[in-house]
Amino acid sequence: MAAVVSIQNVVKSYTRGRQRVEVLHSLNLEVQSGEFLGLMGPSGSGKTTLLNLIGGLDKPDEGQITVAGERLDKLSGSQMAAWRARHVGFVFQFYNLLPVLSAERNVEVPLLLTKLSRAQRKSNVAAALALVGLSDRASHKPTELSGGQQQRVAIARALIADPTLLVCDEPTGDLDRESAEEILQLLTILNQKQGKTIVMVTHDPRAAAYATRLLHMDKGTLARDESRTAA
Amino acid sequence: MKYLPLIWAALRRKPARTLLTCFSIITAFFLFGTLQGINVGIAKIMALTSASHLMVMSRVNAGAPMPIAHAVQIRSVPGVTAVAPFNAVIGTYQQPSNPMIVIGTDMDAMLKVSADLIVPADQAAAMRRTRNGIIVGVTTAKQYGWKLGDRVPLHGIATKTDGTTDWAFDIVGFYTLQQPDWATRIFANYDFINEAITTGKNQATFFYVGINDPAKSAAISQMIDDRFANSPDQTSTSNEKDYLETTLRQIGDINYLVNGVVGAVLFTLLFLTSNTIAQSVRERTAELAVLKTLGFTDAGVQWLVLAEALILGMGSAALGVALASRVLPWVTSGPTLSSQGIGSMHVPGLVYAAAAVVALLLALISGVPPALRARRLNIVAALSGR
Repeated sequence: MAAVVSIQNVVKSYTRGRQRVEVLHSLNLEVQSGEFLGLMGPSGSGKTTLLNLIGGLDKPDEGQITVAGERLDKLSGSQMAAWRARHVGFVFQFYNLLPVLSAERNVEVPLLLTKLSRAQRKSNVAAALALVGLSDRASHKPTELSGGQQQRVAIARALIADPTLLVCDEPTGDLDRESAEEILQLLTILNQKQGKTIVMVTHDPRAAAYATRLLHMDKGTLARDESRTAA
Repeated sequence: MKYLPLIWAALRRKPARTLLTCFSIITAFFLFGTLQGINVGIAKIMALTSASHLMVMSRVNAGAPMPIAHAVQIRSVPGVTAVAPFNAVIGTYQQPSNPMIVIGTDMDAMLKVSADLIVPADQAAAMRRTRNGIIVGVTTAKQYGWKLGDRVPLHGIATKTDGTTDWAFDIVGFYTLQQPDWATRIFANYDFINEAITTGKNQATFFYVGINDPAKSAAISQMIDDRFANSPDQTSTSNEKDYLETTLRQIGDINYLVNGVVGAVLFTLLFLTSNTIAQSVRERTAELAVLKTLGFTDAGVQWLVLAEALILGMGSAALGVALASRVLPWVTSGPTLSSQGIGSMHVPGLVYAAAAVVALLLALISGVPPALRARRLNIVAALSGR
């Protein structure tokens, strides 16, 4: 398998007040194509920072990050935006859907950046909503959907541009047990049947059990790396 | 166009706030369009009025009656070519809410005074033959669908010598002007009206006077007033241009004040719109960050926010000026202006262009700061609520 994500000697720090806090210390990591990687660790261990770097939302202070064949640390802001649109789908803990848009309009947003016609966009949106089992909720606004359904819409939005990588930040953190299971099963299907590479941050050991590889982070370093069979 | 749903969604996020801002902008631009329309209308009236016509009015009060005998004395003043007395019948046509003024005059004299007033010769002759004949401005005729030979009943407000208040006029002709919109007056024979009325008999509310040399209008005016200096019915004479200038200057002064108010309103609106857009952007920090996460560039998000300000500002301004373009002709089409020979006023093209420029500036000034804020938004900080 080829490495979709390659991180070499990455250092990242933030300024909090007058203090400069180093969050990631000379971190090295490779994620292979088709992996379902779980990132676990206590708060402040650097999981979300690492996820933001992999997703091209932030840049390292030092080191190299190559994702989907592109050196992210070398890209400009607009190049990074174009790269994100092509290669990464994001799933957030609180769904982050646009509240005044219907489910289908939310899913369509990433396609607005493409040259697809309105008819093509509509057709792709319908396929994505069918994939997450929400064809009958296409015209509903986020407030008219349950948490689990909103997260499914968010997953459809993340998938719509057929990204190389799915980046999920606590995707089940705001859901009840049953909805969380449904979302995790959906992610597993996407990983196993469609070969999507997934990187998921979670605090929940039951969610982590769905990952094929589990990384434990602590104080900005990789503490433990477990390969495992998904649940 | 494909981004329109996103912009529209942002504006719909707080519909009440957006609507209130829209109403404020609509009101400001309605005022802007109306007042500028009036200003341009006044300038147009001034440009089309002539200094070769004199208006003789009572010195006591404009509109106060003077003896018709004044006409002969005015005609004898050197330089005067014709004198047309005006004595109006005020009433309503068809329904009480439809006021109408018919001016009793000497039509032949009127045609000599106003060379720009065009009536076909056969219709002018018919007016001489028909005691209850009227010559109607083409704009008024078009408004009511009147044709030659139609009878126009008028319900007067004053009782006639026959004890009734009803008048019946026959249309014998139509007149047009260089500015056809202003052909709004209705002229009747002075004698016909004078015989029928019970009050104001043998009197005129003013005399319309033609002179042979506009350059001498001031001197001739003085000579006319001097004729009646020792009379109980003293006159005040000025040329039509000066008269309108004096009358309209009062409106002009009001316009100066109202323009100041509109300026202040627009200035305040700037803060209101800026605040609305800025607040909207602050509330949508996370949403804008999500758009950037999905691949929208910093510049792309900036343009989305700016487009919101442009649509809100320019769309509402367009509605305001469109409303003014409907209301102004309607408000100024009443009998007061039309009996003065001034047609309804319109919002001219120049005002639309000026409104577009003002609205564009308003939208840009209020939209650029929040748009720049959206552009500089850091995704990680915004998503983590920092």
